[in-house]
Amino acid sequence: MKALDELVGLLTRLPGIGRKSALRVAYYILKTDSSFSEALADRIRGLKGAICFCSSCGAYSESDPCPVCSSPSRDRAVICAVEQPQDVVTIEASREYRGLYHVLGGLISPLDGIGPEDLKIRELVGRAGNGEVTEVVVATNPTVEGDTTALYLKRLLESTGVAVTRLATGIPVGGDLEYADRLTLARSFRGRTKL
Amino acid sequence: MPFDRIRLSSFRNLEDAEVLTQADRVFLIGENGQGKTNFLEALYYLSYGNSFRGSVDAEAPRRGSAAFSLLGEVRAPGSADMPHESIRVSYESRIKEIKRNEKPVRDRKELVELNPAVVFCHEDFSFAAGEPERRRFFFDQSAGLVSAAYIDNLREYKRILRQRNSALKETRHDLLPFLDMQIAGKGIELMDERSRLLAEFDGRFALSFEAVSLLGAEVRIRYRPSWPSDLGIEGILERLGSRRNEEFALGTSLSGPHRDRWNFTSEGTDFAATASTGQLRLLSLTLRMVQAEYYTTATGRLPVLLLDDVLLELDRGKRKRFLDLLPPSGQSFFTFLPGESWEDYQTGSTLVYEVRNGRFED
Ligand SMILES: [Zn+2]
Repeated sequence: MKALDELVGLLTRLPGIGRKSALRVAYYILKTDSSFSEALADRIRGLKGAICFCSSCGAYSESDPCPVCSSPSRDRAVICAVEQPQDVVTIEASREYRGLYHVLGGLISPLDGIGPEDLKIRELVGRAGNGEVTEVVVATNPTVEGDTTALYLKRLLESTGVAVTRLATGIPVGGDLEYADRLTLARSFRGRTKL
Repeated sequence: MPFDRIRLSSFRNLEDAEVLTQADRVFLIGENGQGKTNFLEALYYLSYGNSFRGSVDAEAPRRGSAAFSLLGEVRAPGSADMPHESIRVSYESRIKEIKRNEKPVRDRKELVELNPAVVFCHEDFSFAAGEPERRRFFFDQSAGLVSAAYIDNLREYKRILRQRNSALKETRHDLLPFLDMQIAGKGIELMDERSRLLAEFDGRFALSFEAVSLLGAEVRIRYRPSWPSDLGIEGILERLGSRRNEEFALGTSLSGPHRDRWNFTSEGTDFAATASTGQLRLLSLTLRMVQAEYYTTATGRLPVLLLDDVLLELDRGKRKRFLDLLPPSGQSFFTFLPGESWEDYQTGSTLVYEVRNGRFED
């Protein structure tokens, strides 16, 4: 059955979905009411048009600039640097942090051919040097690549005179920011240390 | 933890079967090439998730097959009223899956903590006389047996090393200072842990080796880190900086714990350089003996011992002294050739199997 095989083929390309799960999903869609599959297809089609990157911080947003960047109640003296846009959502959910964000778009990793020039580091240095910012919190994961990136940022930002801090490693080693629970994350923010 | 039962499926030349192993000692008797070592390899797979022969998973399925599956039932000593724990290692379509009590094991580290085995095999000879890398492997394995943190540290070090080597190949001058800081920091942790391991190993080793060999000379283990241990982080950074051009030219990291040396010395000279083959064999056996002993001292638990044809290599006197000194184990598996006097080594609870053509017979 070509239609089914093709759908399963596409589904297995999604993260965390193997062939077995893809088949289950496909059969479920086949079995269920067509209003469901239409709504699902519709949302998938519309997702990229509805959500954009904030041109200031790089977070996912429905408006540009994003609600965080345009909010008058956020602390504009602190910028939290994260690896990817979804990290902003995770940290926002902890409700511990009241500053702004900056999405780097990856981590420094020579093995993957990713250097500082491939990340939004120049933009971060620009924002940090605007006179308003006094602290940059580096919230990269505690991995080898997260550490390299943090050390690099610290050296680079030293010249701008802002304080560079790192999240306390309340996050389990090897654990992802994405999976860190709210409490751990909150503790991490309060216990951030000067690099 | 002792194995009570092993189920084999499509593994090497072994016939699909369920082999009962509920005994303190299990003897496998047979000619070479019949499957004795393959069975020990199966047990090792169930203990570590890989082979001790340094072979890849794809070589383990029976000829003509692309998959294998092993199931081991283990039970802690003195807990007969507890249900078995099961360990399953299966390999199919180039994917290996390890399960403990039918739940996926995501990290082989978990297996090591549950059920380590100490194997005595021919390949161990290289610990005494092989490349430095083989000795690093042995001592890293010994440290990892008792400390999951050591495994983590070593993995992280290797990751930093790969990143650093990649940066050297790509001549990333801008990134080297940061990777230097990382490799120096993690490297110092590893060196400290290796020094502590040396302190645990050295004395025991010297005593055990002398007790079996009756050599009359003290053989000691020496650990020589690539970075002198008193250098400190600043000193290491300076040293890395001073060899920058050389490293860029070669595209690889020329110093660090991945180049640490372990040696054996007797009266100040390199023992391996003058020792006989028999002495080197005994040395590698003694290392395994101390590994088992160290594991028990550090964790309070007993390992499973896998002894592959090792007694054959020793003369009668050494054989007896070796067996007398063999540290306590949860269970031990021995392989013998048919002519050997295995009857002498039987204890109260010994199971004897004849292995012929991959088949086990009582
Ligand atoms: Zn924004």
